[in-house]
Amino acid sequence: MWNMSLSALAMQAPDPDHEVVTQFEQVMLVALVFVIMFGLGAGLTPRDFISALRRPWGLIIGWVTQFAIMPFLAFLLVLGLILQLEPEFAAPLALGALLMGSVPAGTTSNIFTFFSKGNLGLSLMMTTNSTLWAVVMTPLALLVYGNRFMPADLDLQIPIDNIVVTLVILLVPVAAAMVVRRYSPNVGAVMELMGGFFGLFFIVFLVATWVPRNWILLVGTAWQVYAVAVGLGLFGITIAYWVARAIRLHPKNARTVGLETGIQNGPLAIAIVLLSFPDSPQLGLLLLVPALYSLFIVIVATAVTLYFRRANLGEEQKIPSLL
Amino acid sequence: MSELIWLEHYPPGTQPEIAEVPYRNLPDLLRQAAARYADTIAFTHCMPNGMNGSLRFGEVDRLADEFAIYLREVVGLEPGDRVAVQLPNCLSYPVVAFGILKAGCVLANTNPLYTASEMTHQFNDAGARALVIIDMFADRLPEVLPQTQIETVVTVRISEFLPSVIAGIIRATQRYWSRTVPPITVEHTPLQGALAAGRERRQGGSDVDAYLAGIDLDSLAVLQYTGGTTGVSKGAMLSHGNLVSNTLQMLAMCGSYIRPGEETVLTALPLYHVFAFTVNLVGFYYMGARNILIPSPRPPSNLKRALENYPVTWITGVNTLFNALLHERWFLEYPPHALRASAAGGMALHHSVAERWREVTDTPIVEGYGLTESSPVLTFNPLGGTVKDGTIGMPVPSTEVRCVDEAGSPLPPGQAGELVARGPQIMQGYWQQPEETEATLKDGWLHTGDIAEMDEMGYFRIVDRKKDMILVSGFNVYPNEVEERIVELPTVREAGVVAVPDPKTGESVRAYVVADDPAPSEAEILAHCREHLTAYKVPRGVWFVDELPKSPVGKILRKELRKDVAAGSPAAKDPDKRSTTGPSGV
Repeated sequence: MWNMSLSALAMQAPDPDHEVVTQFEQVMLVALVFVIMFGLGAGLTPRDFISALRRPWGLIIGWVTQFAIMPFLAFLLVLGLILQLEPEFAAPLALGALLMGSVPAGTTSNIFTFFSKGNLGLSLMMTTNSTLWAVVMTPLALLVYGNRFMPADLDLQIPIDNIVVTLVILLVPVAAAMVVRRYSPNVGAVMELMGGFFGLFFIVFLVATWVPRNWILLVGTAWQVYAVAVGLGLFGITIAYWVARAIRLHPKNARTVGLETGIQNGPLAIAIVLLSFPDSPQLGLLLLVPALYSLFIVIVATAVTLYFRRANLGEEQKIPSLL
Repeated sequence: MSELIWLEHYPPGTQPEIAEVPYRNLPDLLRQAAARYADTIAFTHCMPNGMNGSLRFGEVDRLADEFAIYLREVVGLEPGDRVAVQLPNCLSYPVVAFGILKAGCVLANTNPLYTASEMTHQFNDAGARALVIIDMFADRLPEVLPQTQIETVVTVRISEFLPSVIAGIIRATQRYWSRTVPPITVEHTPLQGALAAGRERRQGGSDVDAYLAGIDLDSLAVLQYTGGTTGVSKGAMLSHGNLVSNTLQMLAMCGSYIRPGEETVLTALPLYHVFAFTVNLVGFYYMGARNILIPSPRPPSNLKRALENYPVTWITGVNTLFNALLHERWFLEYPPHALRASAAGGMALHHSVAERWREVTDTPIVEGYGLTESSPVLTFNPLGGTVKDGTIGMPVPSTEVRCVDEAGSPLPPGQAGELVARGPQIMQGYWQQPEETEATLKDGWLHTGDIAEMDEMGYFRIVDRKKDMILVSGFNVYPNEVEERIVELPTVREAGVVAVPDPKTGESVRAYVVADDPAPSEAEILAHCREHLTAYKVPRGVWFVDELPKSPVGKILRKELRKDVAAGSPAAKDPDKRSTTGPSGV
């Protein structure tokens, strides 16, 4: 999925040498996500999903934070920050930000949930759930908050194939891994370890490749845009986490809800922009918040994960893990 | 024998006496079991992430033979020589333990988490000539070895006998990620090398059975160290006969609940502890069961994969373990579906835990009782008979148990006195401690130091440890009773009660409490106690701690709490300001 984000972002880059994401990189990224999801799935049993269904509170609250709080948060950030900018820049930037707040959770959220010792079963269910709902909820949220920024002739395109691809990448390897694990716990455990290992590599890879490619973009952007791109993820995670804690979800599930809510499907937002505004002269501005968000969410989520892990220390074992 | 009133209440099919032991020694019993179940899986080692490896009965038997040959012919040990073993639960444990016994040597079980000075003391006391140790703790050896008579060190990897890829990953993780394998600077032989040497000799015609020529039921098999009733660490001498008898006695109380060749038992307690040693390692092995070995049961989520991946039919454990599992959501939602029964020992099984366990798993849980000095099982609630919660059950076959007064005279039912016991499982004495032995074994009766009473059916109930009793203004307060009351509160996870010196009452009661979420207040706990306990039994203070000090099997160590009292407790009273440096055990 990230191949799209990279190729889309490459359009912003001034140097034509850096524009194209190679076929190799695309294949590698998809393969990487596939391996990671396989690894995450190898740690799960059908029980984990049934448990999440039995206590649907996590799913319900996740739905609320995802489609009620996140778009509203994006709206507040737009009001408070983006509208300070010149109107000709503000409208496309605002639309990009609102879109970013209205898309469902991305696959990256599962990886961070895994590392922050959250509830992976719940995480996967939430991603699946919000991705399916996105077909209805993303346009609806945009309509509610984004009306004033939209061009009159806009034909908003929700890329169904993109949504299908997200679900396939999410569910196929997970299901396959669960079957493998059922028959060989050893192979499952190795895949899980490798998934975690590749997950770390993936996060580093994203940051390491994105920054050099897009440094010009970083230099020329107003601080308000940064604040929105960072704030959307950071406040999204924080608010959702505390909402979940407030209704007394288990801390493990609250961590999951927080990460699921704050971590959006950046590539999906980018795809929506590309499909809905194919010839817009403002394409670059429309893509700016989704692109910056996609970078900073990796950093924000890493910081939050480290915090969650530290907060989680009390529950962790004090004896050497292998004894 | 007229006072053995429990015999009338034995479940049908349980004989009052075990038949004459049909085995020459413990290896004889082990070998026959291995022959019967040669191709079935005997042991499976399950890591917290599900990585696993297994050994079949035939393989265990062959590998143990090879280790025996190594000890006798390569190391040159003699029958009766002590071999210290410091291993967590892993596939090497049965190979090494059975190998030592087959060599006619004496196994000295040692806690792998011991410090250098504890190791030195125990090895010297046992006069160990060889040591088998997990490599993770071998960094203590340069300090320990020069002070002991140990000539041979065999090192074991936790990943031994696991599939090679898995073993490689675990090894790499230990070495580069968790850095739990220190370099070993002393001369040592890796277990695989020792086994290879033994294998070579065997092909050259070494005869393992010959090593056991002089070993009979009266020969010493295991030195099992214990603080005992007086607190000084000493080795209980358990003979081959003690262990074989106790295995048969224990099984007699389980009736048809242990089906030959069909059980899968979760072995979360360490095998170096006498309970898991006799019940799981020997007892269940003898019955052809598959032991699922858990290297570390803490945190309890470490048991999740084992319970998901294997059809566990039996769980043996202590109150702490059952209680911990009952606080795990994954366990409550999916209790092991194949479970048939659970056995608790080592410490009192709380009534609330037992009831909850039955409710959640829909299977019986029975409490037994015993000491290191009795191999360990003395009493058991009979599966298939009447199970009485809050009691330790009735004496196992061929065992006499009574409560006696200070003068040693038997007391009638309903009167509390020290529990004493006699039977084929009672140790031969403490190793090289004639005075301690004399104080504990009197005319063949083992004096347990536990205060108990017997009911009209011959079921016993432990009131408390003699030495844990708290004397408040001349009244006896038994910590067990107070702890039981406190943990009835759903907001309390665990409690430990000890005496605090008190200028007015001599001693007063203090409770250490591990709170659940949401935490209870001190006032709530005290109010609950006041409602159910006489005034002098109500704690004068409640101290909230993150965890209670526990023994390797999870027994709450009141003596550590008393140390905390003496040190002017660092634990905080306010649950929000809990100490992280509070008491913590191994």
